[in-house]
Amino acid sequence: MSKTLFGLLLRTLVVLAGTAFLTFALLWNAPGDPAAAIAMARFDALLSQEVIDQVREEVGLNTSFWPAFWSWLGPLLCFDFGNSAVTGRPVWPDLWGAMTYTFPLAFAGLMIGLGVALPLAIFAAKRPGRLSDRIAVAIASLGAAIPAYWLGLLLILLFAVQLGWLPAMGARTPAHAILPALTLGLGVAASLTRIIRSGILEARGQAFLPAIQRRGVPEAAIGRDHIAPHAAIPVITVFGLELAFLLEGAVLVEVIFGRPGLGTFLVSAIAARDFPQVQAVVLLTALVFVVSNLIIDLLYRLIDPRIGERDA
Amino acid sequence: MRSVLILAVFFALLIVFGAALAPHDPNALNIPKRLSPPSTEFLLGTDALGRDVLSRLLHGARWSLGLAFVVSLISLAIGTCAGLIAAQGGKIADWVMMRVTDTFLAFPELVAAVVIAGLLGAGTWSLIFALSLTGWMRFARVARGTGLSVKTRGYVVQAQLAGMPAWSIARWHYLPALLPSLTVVWTGAFARAILGISALGFLGFGVQPPNPEWGSMLLDARVHMRSTPLLMIWPGLVVVTCVLAINLSGDALRDAIAKDA
Repeated sequence: MSKTLFGLLLRTLVVLAGTAFLTFALLWNAPGDPAAAIAMARFDALLSQEVIDQVREEVGLNTSFWPAFWSWLGPLLCFDFGNSAVTGRPVWPDLWGAMTYTFPLAFAGLMIGLGVALPLAIFAAKRPGRLSDRIAVAIASLGAAIPAYWLGLLLILLFAVQLGWLPAMGARTPAHAILPALTLGLGVAASLTRIIRSGILEARGQAFLPAIQRRGVPEAAIGRDHIAPHAAIPVITVFGLELAFLLEGAVLVEVIFGRPGLGTFLVSAIAARDFPQVQAVVLLTALVFVVSNLIIDLLYRLIDPRIGERDA
Repeated sequence: MRSVLILAVFFALLIVFGAALAPHDPNALNIPKRLSPPSTEFLLGTDALGRDVLSRLLHGARWSLGLAFVVSLISLAIGTCAGLIAAQGGKIADWVMMRVTDTFLAFPELVAAVVIAGLLGAGTWSLIFALSLTGWMRFARVARGTGLSVKTRGYVVQAQLAGMPAWSIARWHYLPALLPSLTVVWTGAFARAILGISALGFLGFGVQPPNPEWGSMLLDARVHMRSTPLLMIWPGLVVVTCVLAINLSGDALRDAIAKDA
């Protein structure tokens, strides 16, 4: 057990180092002169070569790849993302501010997704292959095919433009968060429904169930103690992937609804070629993904001891 | 299997001949008739510059579907190579290859694609590059998984003992065994590429105007949501139909393969 745990941690560390390297290398090798773009964003005017060179030196773009990489990586280990190349302010407070918009949105989306998917999946799995099941699966398939940005626009069209019930753009009141969270949640619900449904169906097919039933264990207890933990394993597996979906979904949704957050932060940082900011967002999303997958891997072993043994 | 084939032929025809079916020039401006509702002349109405929406959608198939097709094939090629190297190359190659795959997987696909396409400068080539680079990992995982199970089969071991070079073992023994599962993954990748291309188009990082791409058509239509909501409905409907059809045929294919096995 401890050996596989060590392997798991080593793997996570290697992946984290890889993400840092990849992020840096990607931005370093981007075509175009970043110093010119930064100067442009700072002074909002066409500039002489002298000013551009001055900016290049100031931002540290005049060294070669490896020195620049190490001088970026060092502070990063202490969670110091450096200063914005455009405003000169530290990246972290602005990034944190953006996250306080994005993470609650992602969490609300996840809750809505679970709230829709769980009843729908249980309803569908009650009578597999029958009409109720087919309708539920059809809804889920349709939901998986609808792009988040189009769903968002449709919701704005219906609830904000036609009915006038909810505000569409901005983030001033809690009501502003309803449509974005709904957009995100319905997308999550679509994929979760299918996975939970097949998880339940697979658990139902297990050989131990008839034995328990014949011992006279009540249906409710069977569902809670035997089917639910079994069905949870595939659900947890895709949870990690859902997190990525939530993050990138949130990015799109924020742009559609004009909300401040990681998405709008990222898009404006790319436009201004603010490397430290772009690096911070990309690295942060990767970090969230890697760490949550590590937690999921550990969680597996807790729920299903067989998984740890199989690895070893 | 048959439904998949019919669908594939239909999409291929749409990509190749869709533009020829268009009643109008997709980029012909007609300002007096801008934002007009569906009529016999313009079956789906016109956009803010008076361009025929139906013609733009038909021409857009070449961009949205054609590019997605290219992207999914490049991802397939990269992923299969990576997976086969992991499966055939021994323990160290396997570990390294899989950590590289994990590293690429750690970046949310769309976030990474936006960053890459944004930094390379919006355009068709950076779009293809960005989406291929973020889309190959599932192929690698599946190719490795299936490849490891092929590795121990008698005919592969025999081929190795007979001194057959590694790449021809890959070509003649691994690839045929991998093909069914890779095709299923490919349908998913094709659907996701369509969604990715239209999402980047919608964000302004994808295919550039005036080329008619479905996502960028949505971006244009968004401003006129109040006056002409229909303009926003058509491109989205086309994307959903394509993605749904591809996903369903992927499901059918998977079930057919599961039944065979």
